[in-house]
Amino acid sequence: MSNFREAQNQAHPNKTSTLMVALIVVLILNVSIQIWLLYTALNNALNENVDIAFPAFLASLGLFLVGFGWLYFMPGIIRNKKVKYR
Amino acid sequence: MATNNKDNQWKVDFPIQQLDATQVSRRDFAKFLCLVSGGLAVGSGYVAAKANFFPAEKVQGEHFVCKKDELPQGGTKSFVIPGSTIPYVLIRTEKDDFRAYEQKCTHLSCAVFYMPKSGKIECPCHNGWFDALTGEVLAGPPPRPLPRLDVIFKGDDIYVREFETSPKTL
Ligand code: FES
Repeated sequence: MSNFREAQNQAHPNKTSTLMVALIVVLILNVSIQIWLLYTALNNALNENVDIAFPAFLASLGLFLVGFGWLYFMPGIIRNKKVKYR
Repeated sequence: MATNNKDNQWKVDFPIQQLDATQVSRRDFAKFLCLVSGGLAVGSGYVAAKANFFPAEKVQGEHFVCKKDELPQGGTKSFVIPGSTIPYVLIRTEKDDFRAYEQKCTHLSCAVFYMPKSGKIECPCHNGWFDALTGEVLAGPPPRPLPRLDVIFKGDDIYVREFETSPKTL
């Protein structure tokens, strides 16, 4: 017996791949924004301009939570059932 | 990968299909990105906490460096303030201006040097240049001006103290 999910995976094997790539692209985007935020906050803090550090931290934390929640949509591992032919 | 049938023990040791293996690595990569993201958030938190609650200590009081005639025009003298390890450099320019800066490049903390007769301070590591009169960045990678100390004179003695209005770049 196969269910809907399995049938979908067999009919469109590229779907999982596309989802995975989209997920990774968004995560990379998040990480780049976070690097920028950290760099800016650090440079401003060292320049005695501390007001930016806390909002940058909040933004960075928000991006992390978004990325973490985003992992929920990660496609599961496709297990190919061994079909037995008699 | 062994594709002949001679030694297929690895199939027992590593019972994961090739298709699964590629997906596992991408899944792990996504999780790793998430971990990096968390690390960056923690780093930002550290910067915010440090900036707001533990600001850098200011130089307390006035500190003797040397006598005026120990320093020729265009000469420099390195010194540290007792109780701290930050290296400073005192510069006497050819026009008889006295300036004191932290001798640590704001880029990656290399030691900086006064380039005689040029009115500029050079960082040899990545060719960074600072103005010897203000500490402002003239060229190169340094992101901030050099931290500066006030130079004051008491007779022939040179003293330094915390710079009143710290230089800011906009
Ligand atoms: S450390 Fe001074 S320019 Fe890089």
